[in-house]
Amino acid sequence: MAQVSRPAKMSMGPFFWTVTAVLTFWNIASAIWIAVTPLDYLLPASSLNVTDRGADIDFLFRFMSIFGNAIITYVTGYVIYFAIAFRRRRDEPANSVGVQIHDAPVLEFWWTLLPTLLVIALAVMSTRVWYLVQYGTGAPAFAVEVIGHQFNYEFRYPGLEGSVYDEMHLPAGRPVRVLVSSADVLHSFWVPEFRLKADTVPGLVQNLNFTPQVPGTYVIECTEFCGLNHSEMQARLVVDPPAKFEAWLDAQKAKAKSAATGAATVDLAAGNAGAGKLLFAQKCAACHSVGGFDQKLVGPGLGKIFVDKAHPKLVDGDAPTKANVAKIIENGYNGALGAMPSAQQNGLTGKDVANVDAYLASLK
Amino acid sequence: MAASAGTFAHDVEDHIHPEPEGFIRKYIFSIDHKVIAFQYFITGMVFFAIAGLLAELIRAQLLKPEGAIMSNAAYNGVYSLHGTAMVWMVIIPLVTGALGNFIMPLQIGARDVAFPWLNMVSFWIFPVAGAILFASFLVGAPDAGWTEYPPISLQGPPGTTLWCVAIFLIGISSTLTGLNFMVTVAKMRAPGMTWTRMPLFTWATFATALINMVATVALSGALLALFLERVYGVPFYDPARGGSPILWQHMFWFYSHPAVYIMILPAFGVISEVLPVFARKPIFGYRLIAFSSMAIAILGFAVWAHHMFTSGMPPWLQLPFMVMTFLIGIPTGVKIFSWLATLWGGRLHFSTAMLYAMGFLVTFSFGGITGIFLAAVPADLHEHGTYFVVAHFHYVIGGGSVMGFLAAVFFWFPKATGRLLDERMGKIGFWLFFIGLNGTFFPMHFLGLFGMPRRYATYVEFAKTLPHGVAQFWNVFESIMSLGMVAATALLFFNVVWSLKWGKPSGMNPWGARTLEWTISSPPPYYNFKKIPTVLGLPYNFDQPMPYRNLDNEQDPIPVPTTLAPPRTPVPA
Repeated sequence: MAQVSRPAKMSMGPFFWTVTAVLTFWNIASAIWIAVTPLDYLLPASSLNVTDRGADIDFLFRFMSIFGNAIITYVTGYVIYFAIAFRRRRDEPANSVGVQIHDAPVLEFWWTLLPTLLVIALAVMSTRVWYLVQYGTGAPAFAVEVIGHQFNYEFRYPGLEGSVYDEMHLPAGRPVRVLVSSADVLHSFWVPEFRLKADTVPGLVQNLNFTPQVPGTYVIECTEFCGLNHSEMQARLVVDPPAKFEAWLDAQKAKAKSAATGAATVDLAAGNAGAGKLLFAQKCAACHSVGGFDQKLVGPGLGKIFVDKAHPKLVDGDAPTKANVAKIIENGYNGALGAMPSAQQNGLTGKDVANVDAYLASLK
Repeated sequence: MAASAGTFAHDVEDHIHPEPEGFIRKYIFSIDHKVIAFQYFITGMVFFAIAGLLAELIRAQLLKPEGAIMSNAAYNGVYSLHGTAMVWMVIIPLVTGALGNFIMPLQIGARDVAFPWLNMVSFWIFPVAGAILFASFLVGAPDAGWTEYPPISLQGPPGTTLWCVAIFLIGISSTLTGLNFMVTVAKMRAPGMTWTRMPLFTWATFATALINMVATVALSGALLALFLERVYGVPFYDPARGGSPILWQHMFWFYSHPAVYIMILPAFGVISEVLPVFARKPIFGYRLIAFSSMAIAILGFAVWAHHMFTSGMPPWLQLPFMVMTFLIGIPTGVKIFSWLATLWGGRLHFSTAMLYAMGFLVTFSFGGITGIFLAAVPADLHEHGTYFVVAHFHYVIGGGSVMGFLAAVFFWFPKATGRLLDERMGKIGFWLFFIGLNGTFFPMHFLGLFGMPRRYATYVEFAKTLPHGVAQFWNVFESIMSLGMVAATALLFFNVVWSLKWGKPSGMNPWGARTLEWTISSPPPYYNFKKIPTVLGLPYNFDQPMPYRNLDNEQDPIPVPTTLAPPRTPVPA
């Protein structure tokens, strides 16, 4: 029978307990450090507690970072330690073998139990925060609707006729329920400083309940792929002190009223073709090229809309004048060639309409 | 008739069919599992090179916040095909088709898989599916990512339909391979190889085959519906016409979460084989590792909706999926600790395969921990759809599946070819890969948490939220570090080609390993085992004689590694 060269005795390895003590000390020290220092190196504006639920979520991050760091430190530390302590020495025979142990039930019991307890604790804490985000604290909440569009956001407020685009305002210090939905495809509503996100799904309304606590300007980002300009789909979110928020909401209401009574007229002659070109790239280019009528993306090409002899009429049968083109941009279109959202749905102001019109007129 | 293992095994020499003659029957439409494994390996590595270059295009684009090299449309196609190809055309075929096909029948003492013709059919679907997938570049590549969520995928470029067809085909290939491997493991083990004497790679392959067979069908159904909706307008997913976009997500993830285990379980199996051999020490907790593979495979069917915490499923449903996901972390953690304990008190030989296995322990653990971060519902509300997720799954797939696969390549290449891969090139490659992987994906965790969404062709707004061009700095850093992985892959390709001709001859058992494949010549003969061996015990007791009877070749009773650095001075016996 062949011989093997066995280790002289069962050994945990040189300095095993020293190494374990160093790793444990490191883990305790970093646990304390993670627990007490601001988490701003990991999460944006963590020390400000921008929302109440965001602060809860940051606490979960603290807890997970502490035990995650401990597990990674032990695993990496022991891999390196074992690599050094139990390397086969150059002067050992090729037939040397390690300690022939197959298991250690006590060790296995503990390393199964401890992670189980940790995840149970995490599940309990997560469930609490989950409940508060989904169902709120029970306090009456101010509801704001968010509707995703390709590629901007629409916001609707209680008591406000019509919608606000591209800039959302929320009052500080007041419980808010954001109702998230979509007009076309999947998008997402995410404010990194708030730590909250919900996908906007057509035909479905999702809830996010929280209280914004710190006035400031934040960015809303889309995180669910929604088409060509997904990367450019952002909006501003302004958290105002309550009085300022009320003033803003009143101003919006007044604006909506004047728009409804037709008080606002569009001065087409003041359109700026340069500004219109930028707007066209943002708002129109996903569906319209600047080539001829037949160069269709979703809708027809618009490059020759004012001069195209093959198509002397616009889609609604009118003559191609600046006023008639502006009318289509303003009201949208729904007919044989497909559907185009209105200026309001597109987030275009009257001035924007004039600018886009001027740009199209400048293309010959 | 006893229904025990070995019922179908061929026990007598006269049952051996002659080796086919002629190039086509031998190398093209071969039914030999070893040749088919090579075919999977070569095809998979070609697709790996293509999908890897797509990854470099992504990294090049992100060098500048406004996008350095291409339009949004081109970028969307590039990252979509990178993800799709890496999952379905690279990792899954390599770890099941290449590794499973080559290793598993040899490990159980079988002469081939149960259905060799089916195996050939499974393989030949794969290059066809890959060709269809990459052909989508010619007609407008799919742009909605590897997940292709409707309704946007309904409006996607024409290539999205080709995407459906390609994935449907590769799904058929996976299902057939799963069926084949399950029957093979269940019915064709050598006499005496009970379930609890099965090598751990075979256990992992069995668990993987189960998932492949069950889960892939759901994906096929979802793809068929997407295809019908895109081509014939049958409304399954379009909410404007009464469809449900969430339905796709459920069906997709019912397959694609188990698919994560399809990708990682074979790597678990590889690690469980490589570590004991190079630690010269029994695998720690054999039964726990074997059964936890099955536990993961089964629990893996009950965690899919953790990909959907922000998608709009009923809120109460989020809780059971969170808890199940935490639970599946526990058998995985137990495996990591068991592998660590396998090293403890061993005699470690640092071959390249061992380096990859030890690197796996570090990077896969890290990916596992960030998995817990993602499973906690409230934390996921922040992380979902950001670079944190990208970092997480690249640690799990790159640092887990790929590192496990590379360990396997270095470990079994000598068995497959009779020559060792060059160890020096291998070790340089390991360090390039390990450092490149961590350098590329570690900073992504922070970028994600600070607000960088995934699938962005440009990140101008995000860059503005961080001071002093920090966002761009880390993206440039990641792009540079990713070149480490490119260099490692190039070196591996060179190493494989070089070693086929000039590699050191390996002999039958270069590592002193003890599973059955190391008892036959390298490369194995056409019939693997002339006589079917009898198995007497587990293959992990390195101080005992080999636990087999009736072997074809004369064996060292206690094999030792013969190819690693010899002792500097002769040691008296």
